[in-house]
Amino acid sequence: MMETLQPTLKRGRDVWDRINMTEMEFHLRVEKIREKMQKESIDCILLYGKGANEYGNPCYISNFAIKMPRGALVAIPLKGDITLIVDGFSRDQPAVKSVTWIDSIRSCRDVAQECLDLLKEQNLIPSTLGFAGLKELMPCPQFQSIINALGQCKIVDAQPIINKMRMVKSFREQDQIRRSSRIIQRAFDRVCSSPLSEMNERVLEATLDYIARMEGAEDIRILVARPMESGWTMRPAENRDISDGENVITYVAVAFERYWSEGIRTYAAGPSHFKEKTSEDAAALYEKILQMIKPGVAVTQVYKDALGEMQKSPMEYLPQYGLGQGIGLGPRELPRLTMESQDHFIENMCFTLRLALKDKENVSLMTGDTILLSKNHRELLTR
Amino acid sequence: MPQENLKLERAVEAIGKKGLDGLIVYSNGTCDILGAKNLFYFAEFRPLGPHNAAVISKSGEAVLLVEPEWDAARAKRFSWIKDVRGTADFIKTMPDLMDEFKLTRKVGIVAYKEMTEAVYKCIGKKADTETADNVIAEMAYNKTEKEVDIAREAGRITDKGFEALLKHARVGITEYELLAEIEFDMRRAGADDIFNFMSSEKQNFAMHSPTDKRLSPGDIVIAEITAAFEGQFIQLCKTVVLGRPDPVLAEKYDMLLQTLDASLGEIKPGIPASQISRSMNKVISDAGYAKYCYPPYMRARGHGIGVGSIAPGAVIDDDTEGILKTGQALVVHPNQFLPETGYLACGETVLVTDTGMERLSKTENKLYTIGV
Repeated sequence: MMETLQPTLKRGRDVWDRINMTEMEFHLRVEKIREKMQKESIDCILLYGKGANEYGNPCYISNFAIKMPRGALVAIPLKGDITLIVDGFSRDQPAVKSVTWIDSIRSCRDVAQECLDLLKEQNLIPSTLGFAGLKELMPCPQFQSIINALGQCKIVDAQPIINKMRMVKSFREQDQIRRSSRIIQRAFDRVCSSPLSEMNERVLEATLDYIARMEGAEDIRILVARPMESGWTMRPAENRDISDGENVITYVAVAFERYWSEGIRTYAAGPSHFKEKTSEDAAALYEKILQMIKPGVAVTQVYKDALGEMQKSPMEYLPQYGLGQGIGLGPRELPRLTMESQDHFIENMCFTLRLALKDKENVSLMTGDTILLSKNHRELLTR
Repeated sequence: MPQENLKLERAVEAIGKKGLDGLIVYSNGTCDILGAKNLFYFAEFRPLGPHNAAVISKSGEAVLLVEPEWDAARAKRFSWIKDVRGTADFIKTMPDLMDEFKLTRKVGIVAYKEMTEAVYKCIGKKADTETADNVIAEMAYNKTEKEVDIAREAGRITDKGFEALLKHARVGITEYELLAEIEFDMRRAGADDIFNFMSSEKQNFAMHSPTDKRLSPGDIVIAEITAAFEGQFIQLCKTVVLGRPDPVLAEKYDMLLQTLDASLGEIKPGIPASQISRSMNKVISDAGYAKYCYPPYMRARGHGIGVGSIAPGAVIDDDTEGILKTGQALVVHPNQFLPETGYLACGETVLVTDTGMERLSKTENKLYTIGV
């Protein structure tokens, strides 16, 4: 699985463009969730998220993205007002209000306690509550306090309801991912046009970050690797020069207006510039795996078949970074492209497909893109 | 004795004093500027995965458990802990590790608040637990010579960030473009993490993430510029006016500069940290703004800083307990909302020395103006 350093603060452009993502989009999501709640007799769903990676649950309804390693929660009662609870200070409320349609915003330093207060005020204790993300993400002391206080409530797992909805992207969501993908393309283009004489890993990272930020990126993650070194791994940039003849793997993930995209390229440093390093075998293998992915096919089936193709390939697969996963309101979403996945590919899913490979000469390369799956087509958004 | 051995020695000492079998210093891979980065400080390695921990036994064995598995190679290069183990499943591996190190009766946990229920349960099923955040907090407040050098370097990068603000702030640039320019220079200067907030209005209410707002003549740009270098954060809070400042603004900012001077003048080992806040609030109250010194207008008057916010804590206000000690780094910021000017930013980071304090950045404290 791919992981990156999480910033102390999401520092990029933070706006709600109401044309790119209309308020109606959120109302439709709420409507859908309430239909499910009705069917499953859930009185209130609590959507919890945390930090720079796992903000998706509350953001899916509120459009509010958490900037720091703190929590946020959206409470959706079957009827009545939706509430956004944010770990923060009251003076931050104007900034929160500017990016959400939800009127009821509560700032606090303990999301669990504030949530309990809200449930009491709305006479939702006792009731049937749907939890999404609380058990998995909430800090243990807060989660235990909420569980201890809700002994009279029936708690059901509501994460599958949200997962199922988040996995399939609406047209507006697809467009947002196209926008973040275009930023990645431009950042990669700039790397190829930057003079090598001025390049070291820090400058490479600063350049990618700068291009993406100037294009309006909200969050950027960058990893590099030197695949010609023995025991290489992906890692954050260090103070190391890049010389003619060296290869550098570059991983870039970008969020634009909440939505992520991911791209990976292997560059060969030439005398003056970087050039993308390609391999016919790698490209053929990537294409074969891509062709396996169709709406209705089980993820595990693709994974198994992909491993079969890899065994036939002259290149050796390096499994540690994974084959990919869904992407959207977080750099990692469902489905995970693993043997354990319970999911099927569905039309309008966005996901990443990445390959780390080693050839007979022990030279490694990595490639990866963000893909939109339509009925008969797999669109590479980052190419 | 090398610093790393001192850290281990002090951890083992704390384990003994508390009657524990060992200590687990945990990290969920995030960094909160208002909290200590305990594992980063202790192991000298910034984790990137969702679960990581240093496990220390009472006999002084130490292991660093890192998820994802592939990040162990980086951990081995950076951490002084020699026994680094990568895992694809922290929750499955940790109980086995606790058995191996005989942590089966009672363990101290650092960063319990970062743990999810699943992480806590995997530890709790093997041994009783008690929170032990103070073990690292006590270790971390007093900076070593090496750490002070790192902090000075972070100060240099922060100064570069402010220079970039002065260079690029102009009518027409958006807030997000301005921060991108600032951070480009900070990254090239070596920043490995950045925490920048800003606002640009005629009257600001609070600092926030950058928006599409374009700077215009007369805007007051307030910024909190914070660079991290090898884990150490250094912060500057500054105010810049696009155009000639209104006389009222100049007068009020002058009051904040006097406030900053007064509070910096108080800093020396042995004084209560709350004295910094009281001294600031006195100057501002004497000028007629007492009610604006406290919530909902203002909250903290500074905080400890280093590898995150450490001793004397994440908040320095009138009630902060704790006495300043040599080697602590503090952000001192009389940032203030005033009805005539809105929110203004003013502050910097200093190191408590035997005789007073040392400024960790070189940027002059004044109201900056940019011609339009």
